Amino acid sequence: MKWRKWNNIIHRDLGYICVGLTILYAISGIAVNHIHDWNPTYKIVKHKEKIDPILSDGRLITDKEIQNILKTLGNKPEYKKKFQPAPNLIKIYQEGNTIDVELLTGDVIQEKITKRPFFYQVNFLHLNHAKKLWTWFADIYAAALILLAVTGMFVLKGKKGIKGRGAWFVTGGLIIPILFLLIYG
Amino acid sequence: MFRFNKVLLILAVLAITHTYAYASNSENFGKPITLQEITKVSDILASPENYANKKVLVKGMVVEVCAKRGCWMDIASDKAFEKIQIKVLDGVIVFPLSARGKEALVEGKVEALNYTKEEAIELLEHKAEEKGEKFDPSSVTGPLTTYRIKALGATITE
Repeated sequence: MKWRKWNNIIHRDLGYICVGLTILYAISGIAVNHIHDWNPTYKIVKHKEKIDPILSDGRLITDKEIQNILKTLGNKPEYKKKFQPAPNLIKIYQEGNTIDVELLTGDVIQEKITKRPFFYQVNFLHLNHAKKLWTWFADIYAAALILLAVTGMFVLKGKKGIKGRGAWFVTGGLIIPILFLLIYG
Repeated sequence: MFRFNKVLLILAVLAITHTYAYASNSENFGKPITLQEITKVSDILASPENYANKKVLVKGMVVEVCAKRGCWMDIASDKAFEKIQIKVLDGVIVFPLSARGKEALVEGKVEALNYTKEEAIELLEHKAEEKGEKFDPSSVTGPLTTYRIKALGATITE
């Protein structure tokens, strides 16, 4: 039949086009699914250090004192911003690094963040941080996946097609999410 | 077929270049900001009940971001030792960890969170634990109300 020929052509070529993004989205999907266990986009490394206490007496810490802290820690002298959430605690923001200093005890925690190679990029696309034209592209891709699924049902005819065992597999695929909705919904 | 592939390639290149051409040092999240007048964070913190359920536009440095889900961030007040939490629905807006130390303009509704005495003890105990501080449950004498901003939209600038 002519319609099946076109169905299969669409399914085949659309399948080729969608391979790349499907794999990227699937990898990002797994990464984001386990967000409770890790940050899928950034690698966070914490270092605990100790410096001499700074007697601030509840005042705001000066730039000179921050420079001294950075020098003691062996960090670069440049910093973006500073913030004192409490009189005895200061946060110093450097590029990719946040330094928490307990002024009375001298306890320091440096939290360095770096973009996870590959995951940062795939999550950037998958979570649509790009926005703009990418939103449209992602919508078209989603529509292509629907078309891919629908045409996939009609690739084969006969016993292995949608009128045969295909029907059982399609039904099974529909029952699984419904079952989970009934259990957890 | 060759021509079809060529068109697809051109479209892909256009999409990528468009995305990066418009990349700037500011990033928008959620709905566009509609308010013009900025409310001082210190004013909200001084009398939060006056702002409860009201839409506000606040500005301040991002001092902390939820490390796992990016579902909240704290912004510094215009007064020393003060900050306010900006909360978003999980997944609707995701604040990046790299926002720390950058300037944020946030539009949202001030919301009150009411805790019973037991809930307040649990909350403050958890916060103290996070900060590595000691906590005395007897310091909580009754129910507690805290305030935060439920963000609708935000712009974060380098």
